[in-house]
Amino acid sequence: MLCIESLSITLGEFSVRDVTLEIQPGEYFIILGPTGAGKTVLLETIAGIHSPESGRIILGDKEITSTEPRLRNIGMVYQDYMLFPHLTVGDNIAFGLSQRKISSDEQHARVEEICSFLEISHLIRRYPGTLSGGEQQRVALARALVLKPEILLLDEPMSALDSRTRERMRMELFRIRKLTGTTIIQITHHFEDVFALADRIAIMREGQIIQFGETSGVFLHPVDMFVAEFLGIGNIIRGKSSKAGKITQIIPAAGPSFFAASGIVGNVVATLHAEDVIVSQEPLTSSARNCLSATVIEVIPNGSTVRVILDAGFPLTALLTRESCRDLHLGQGSKVYATFKASAIHVIPVNSQENGIL
Amino acid sequence: MRKFFLFLTYIIFISISVILLGLIFYSPLSALAINLASPEIQFAILLSLITSVLSTTICIALAIPVAYALARYEFFGKKCATLALTLPLTLPPLVAGIALLLFFGTTPWGKALDQAGFAVIFTPLGIIVAEVFVNIPYMIRILRSAFSAINPRYEHVAKTLGCTDTGAFFHVTLPMARHGLLAGAIITWSKAMGEFGAVLMVAGATTMRTETLPIALYLNISTGDLNLAVAAATILILISLLTLCVVEYFDRSIHVF
Repeated sequence: MLCIESLSITLGEFSVRDVTLEIQPGEYFIILGPTGAGKTVLLETIAGIHSPESGRIILGDKEITSTEPRLRNIGMVYQDYMLFPHLTVGDNIAFGLSQRKISSDEQHARVEEICSFLEISHLIRRYPGTLSGGEQQRVALARALVLKPEILLLDEPMSALDSRTRERMRMELFRIRKLTGTTIIQITHHFEDVFALADRIAIMREGQIIQFGETSGVFLHPVDMFVAEFLGIGNIIRGKSSKAGKITQIIPAAGPSFFAASGIVGNVVATLHAEDVIVSQEPLTSSARNCLSATVIEVIPNGSTVRVILDAGFPLTALLTRESCRDLHLGQGSKVYATFKASAIHVIPVNSQENGIL
Repeated sequence: MRKFFLFLTYIIFISISVILLGLIFYSPLSALAINLASPEIQFAILLSLITSVLSTTICIALAIPVAYALARYEFFGKKCATLALTLPLTLPPLVAGIALLLFFGTTPWGKALDQAGFAVIFTPLGIIVAEVFVNIPYMIRILRSAFSAINPRYEHVAKTLGCTDTGAFFHVTLPMARHGLLAGAIITWSKAMGEFGAVLMVAGATTMRTETLPIALYLNISTGDLNLAVAAATILILISLLTLCVVEYFDRSIHVF
C-alpha cells in the first residue's frame, strides 16, 4: 500500500499542497485535473525526483520520503516517453537492469520476456528516433516494467497518441495491470481512460486533491461545482448497448432504455451533458429520439442556471435557466418529461466487467 | 537585384579563395615542405599542439560542471555569473592577456604561485593559462546550450531506473550532449592553436621557448623571414578549414557563433 500523508512541495509555479492519499496494492488509480494543477509534480515526488517540503510517503511498511528514487522500485513513464536517443531499444529496456548489475544473461532473458509480452521484439535493434509514437510508448512501458516495479507512474502516457493507437494502448494497460498486478497511478485528460481503467480517481486543482474515491462516486456525487464542471458531464449512465437499426439502444442497469447515435455495442458508459436535456411538462413531439418520463428529485440553483436532478429510472441531470425553471413550476416531486437527442449521447466502450460500478 | 547580389557573393568568394590560396602557394610546395621541417616550425607545431590539447582538456573539465550548473540549477547571482563567465568572449584577447599579466605578475597570489614553482609569466605554462582563460567561455556557452536542450526528465527517468544523480549525468545527459561536447572541443582547440594576443601578453614571444605557431608567424614576419611565416600560416589555415568542416558536420543544431 502506498500512503501519502499531507505532502506539500512547491516547484516554481507548480505546487502540491497537503495531499493525503492511500493507494491499495494492485489498484489502478487515476488523477484528473486541469493543466497546472500540480499532477506531474505529485507523481515526480512519489517517484523521488523532488523532496517534499513536508509530509511523508510510505510504501508498504517503509517510509520512503527521503529515499533515493533508484531505491524506491517505482517506475515512471512520461508523456513524451523520454527514451534515451543514444541507446537502441534493447539497451533502453536493459538500462535499469544493467544499473542494477544484473548478469548479462539474465538481462537478455528479461528483456526478451518483456519484449514478447509487449510485442516489440522486432524493434530491439532500432533506435528510438525511428519508432512511431505507439511503439515508443511500448518501449517506455517495457523499460519501466522490466524492473518489476511495485508501482508504475504514468504521466499522461497516451496524450501524444492518435485515438486509435490510444484505444489499443488502453487495452494494453488493462492487460498489463491484470497480468502483472502492478499498482498503477496515472494522470490523464481522457475520460475514456477513467471508465476503462480506473478503480478510483482523484480530482486535483491548484495543488490540492479536491475529491477522491471510486469512479462512480466521484462522477455521481461531485463535491462542488468545480468538480462537476471539470468532469463536464451531467449524466453518466452505465448499461448494455445493442444494435437497433443504424443506431444503438442502451439498456441501463435500472430504468428505461434509450437510443444513442453510435455503433458501439456491449458494455458501455453513456454520457450526456446536462444542457442537452430538455425538460417539459408534456411529452415533446420532436426529432429527438428519446423522451422519458421523470420525477424531479432536487432543484439546485447555481448563478443564472439551475441544475435539476431527475429520476427517470436512473438519475438524470438537466441544466436549465432560472427563467425556464420558474415557467415550468419545477419543484421536488414534479412530474416532467426529459427529452434528449440520440446524437447527444456519447458512448464509451468499457473493456472490463470488474472495473468500476457505475 | 538577384544578379547583383550573386555577383557580389561570387566576388567575395573568389577574393577570399584567391587571397588564402595565394598564401598557401606563395612558396613552391618543395620549399614549403623544407620550411615545415625546420626546427623552429617543428618546435612551434609541437608546442602549439601540446599547449592547445592541454588547455582544451582543462577547458572541457572545467566547463562541463559549470555549463551544467548554468543550465540546470537556480542559484544566487546566476545572471551575474553568466555575464562574467561569457565576458571574455567579447573581450579583445590583448586585454585578457594584460589582465592575466597583472594578476600573475603583480599580485601576492601570482607571486606565491611563482615561488611555489608554477611560474606563469613568460613560460609555456603561461600559454596554457592564457588559452584557458580566453577559450573557456566558448566551451561553457556551447555546453550550456547543449545541456539546456536536454529535457531534465531524461535524468528523472534514469534515476527511477536505478541511477544516482552522478550516474544519470554520465549515462544519459553527457552522452546526449556529445555533439555539443565534440563541437566545443574542436572549436576550443582550434582557437587555442591560433591564440595570439593573450599568449603574447602572458607568455611573451621567446624563440624556441614560448613560440607557438602564431608567435612563430609574428616573430618571423618581424625579422623578415617570410618563408617560415608562410609555413606557420599555412598550418593555421588548414586547421581552420578542418575545424569548420567538423563543426559544420556535427553542429547543425547548436549554434556557436
